[in-house]
This record gives sequence, structure tokens and C-alpha cells, in this order.
Amino acid sequence: MQPVILVFIYGLMTALATGLGALPFAFVRAVSRKGVAYANAVASGLMLGACFGLLVEGTESGTWSTIIGANLGILFILGTQRILQRYNVRFGSLGSVGARRTLLMIVVMTVHSFSEGVAVGASFGGGMTLATLITVAIAVHNIPEGLAISAVLRPRGVSVAGCIGWSIFSSLPQPLMAVPAYLFVDAFAPALPYGIGFAAGAMVLMVFLELLPEAYGQARKLTVALLVSISLAAMILFQRLL
Amino acid sequence: MNPTITVLVYSSIAAASAALGAIPFRWRDRIPISWIGWANALAAGLMLGTAYVIVVAGLNRMVLAGATGAFLGIGFIYWTHMIARTEDLDLNKLDETGPEYGYQILLVQSLHSASEGVAIGVAMSLNIGLGIFAAIAFAIHNVPEATVLCAVLRARGIRLRDAAGLAVMTNVSLILLAIVTFALIAAVPSLLPWALGFAMGALVYLVMVEPLPESYQQAGHTSIALVTSVAMGIVVLLNGFLR
Repeated sequence: MQPVILVFIYGLMTALATGLGALPFAFVRAVSRKGVAYANAVASGLMLGACFGLLVEGTESGTWSTIIGANLGILFILGTQRILQRYNVRFGSLGSVGARRTLLMIVVMTVHSFSEGVAVGASFGGGMTLATLITVAIAVHNIPEGLAISAVLRPRGVSVAGCIGWSIFSSLPQPLMAVPAYLFVDAFAPALPYGIGFAAGAMVLMVFLELLPEAYGQARKLTVALLVSISLAAMILFQRLL
Repeated sequence: MNPTITVLVYSSIAAASAALGAIPFRWRDRIPISWIGWANALAAGLMLGTAYVIVVAGLNRMVLAGATGAFLGIGFIYWTHMIARTEDLDLNKLDETGPEYGYQILLVQSLHSASEGVAIGVAMSLNIGLGIFAAIAFAIHNVPEATVLCAVLRARGIRLRDAAGLAVMTNVSLILLAIVTFALIAAVPSLLPWALGFAMGALVYLVMVEPLPESYQQAGHTSIALVTSVAMGIVVLLNGFLR
């Protein structure tokens, strides 16, 4: 098989794995207002845990570039939020606030997949064993990310199939970025810490700007804090075990 | 310098810096509520950043024992709040409260500082430089935290000097726990991964239960999100240079 096709297929597998994160929601029926808050809290913990991992990786290859990337990520989310507010977007049957949050979540998670795709593609430079390891690691770590996306989408009325679809969609940049990263690995390597920082900044801001305020507004802060900190610790453990 | 003395000196600096939080009240009697919100957000971001620093430093040790420690840390703070019946306490009420509110708030603040002490002790055990870094991060974190406490105490007519003194007193538990944690790990090194996880879990839980929810009610969500993320980013940046 052509190596380029192999890289694409590996990237595609990591994207499909993201859809698995939506599956738990197939067994949950109606989601109450409190349920939305709890789901937000779990998503926040998972995303903050993922950011810790990203920041470790980014600062290893360059502290300044990671931080500059993070600032760009923050500005990107602020800008996107402003645009979505101005146009009063609708998403399915959702009102404007719910729609904004849902869309922002999809945008944030999709954007953050770019750097993961680069990681998959670049790993092929180090031989098949490394590439397989990295691909499996990213695929498995995509599952809780699919969970985080579905935790935001499902309570707002998106169907389970929709959650799976959007989860996979959010990871599609992975196969798309893996191929150019494999072909032009030297050109992509210096950009990687910026991309990682961008992803981390965007995710942190999304958590503090949209997910947590809503969670605190609808549930006791005690429960929210408990869910955030447990899912954060679980995410770090999960990343370490890989 | 004897490492225990180093721990004592730097944790004392972290505790004493709380007095600086009273400074804004020299010029104004009441500070705007949004400033309190930003002070809370700043404290939250710095604390989350320090939790990150501890995770990074202990990453290789943070596997199962670390994770169990984290769940213990979260559970410990949760249960102490439950036992003290302060789980839903709003720490920033500026008026209309009974006398017991004063005790509750001081109790919660002391508990909060105790967890910071564990974090400093753990960081010192990993590496003295990292410990000093954590102590300085908490020293800065204690300033906005004390500003919030002073705002609450001042609203009750407590003199500024006494408010500053109380703010420092709530941080004495920080010094104590820093030294106890450091000594304990020196005696039983296998406790380190547990203590690391414990500090991380307790810090994250405290951020989420104390400064952050209050801050959202005191200032706009965008400004809170920005202050928190930037404060966290500054700690991440400094840590990147330290390594």
C-alpha cells in the first residue's frame, strides 16, 4: 500500500474512535437541567485534563511558542463567540444561547484536532512501530473527547447519531492534517508547539467562558467542583496509562 | 541552608504575603464588586497553574498511586466541608450575615490554606527549586485572596489592621502543613506519589468550589474567563523557563 494512504487510514481510525465517546449517551434518556450542568462539569474536567497534557507536550518543544499559540487560541474563541452572538445562530431546534455553545464546542474541538493530526503524520517519520503506538494513543484519547462533545451536544437535544457524527467530524482534521504532516514533516515540526498551544488556549477559555458558568448556574457548586476535579484527575491518569 | 528551614522560610513568605491583600483598603473603604471578582479569578488561575506545575513535575510518579491520592485529596476537602457544614457557604457575602458566618469563613479559609501547605511541602520534596516556585505562586495567589477576605471583614466594621492580621492568621495552617508534609515525605519517601496526587486533587477541587463560582457572580463571564486563563498561562510560562 502507498504510505500516504496508510497515513490517511491511520488518521481516519483515530477520527472514528472519537465517535465511540458518544455511545454512553445511547443508554441515557431525557437529560434534565441539572443533567446539563453535570455534563458540562464532566466535559470541563476532561478538557482541562487534556490541556494539562497538551501544555506539557507543547512546553517541551518551546515555551514561548506554546504560550503565543495559547494566546491566539484565546483570541480565536473570543472572536468566534462574538461572531456567533452577532448573527444569533440557530442549530437544529436550539435557541441562540444553546446553539452558540454547541457550535463553539464543535469549533473548539475540531480546531484542536489539527495538531493531533500533525502528531499522527509526523510520527510516521519515526518508523511503523512508533506510528502505530502514537495512532493508538491518539485514538484512545479521542474517546473521552467524543464524550466531552456529546456531553455538551446531547443534553441540548442533538440525537445520539448526531453526537457520533459531530464527534467524528471534530476529528476529521486528523486524517486531513496527517498526510501533509507526513509529506512535509520538516516544515510542520516548528509549527507544532504553536498548534498545541492554540488548542490548549482555546479549550481552557471554552471551559471558563461557556461551560463552567452554565454549570454553576444550574447545580450546586459542590457537585460541579466534584465532577470537574474527578474527571480532570481521571483524564490525566488515562493519558499517563497510555 | 537546611531544607526544613527553606520550607519554613518560603511558606512563611507565602503566608505573610496575605497582609498585602489589605493594601487597596488604605485608599478606599469599599472596592468595587467587579474587582473582587477579578481578584477571585486571579487567585483561581494561579492555583490551577500551580496544580499544573505539580502534575508536570510528578508526571512520571503520577500513575495509580497518584490518581488514588488525587481522589483522596478531592474526597478530603469534600468531607471536611460536609462536616463543617460549609459546603454551600458563599465566601463573599458582604452584608446581612450572623456572627457564625465570621467563624465559618475563617475556618474555610484555614482549610484552604492547609491544602496549599500540602502542595508546597510536596513540591519542596520533589525539588527545592520547584518548592520555592510553588511557594511564590501561592504568595501571589494569597494577595487577591486576602483582598476578598478583607472586603468581607471590612464590611463588618473590622479595623483594617485586624483584617490584615486575620488574613495572615488563616494562612498559618499553610506553614504548618508545608513543614509536616515535607518532613513526612522525608521520613517515608514512598508517600510522595500519594501526596502529589493529593495536592493536585485538593487544589483543583478548591479552585472549582471556592474562588471560581463566586467570581462569575461578581464580574462579566468574559473578563473572568480571561483573567483565569491568563493567570494560569503565566504560571505555565514561568514553569516552562524553570525546567
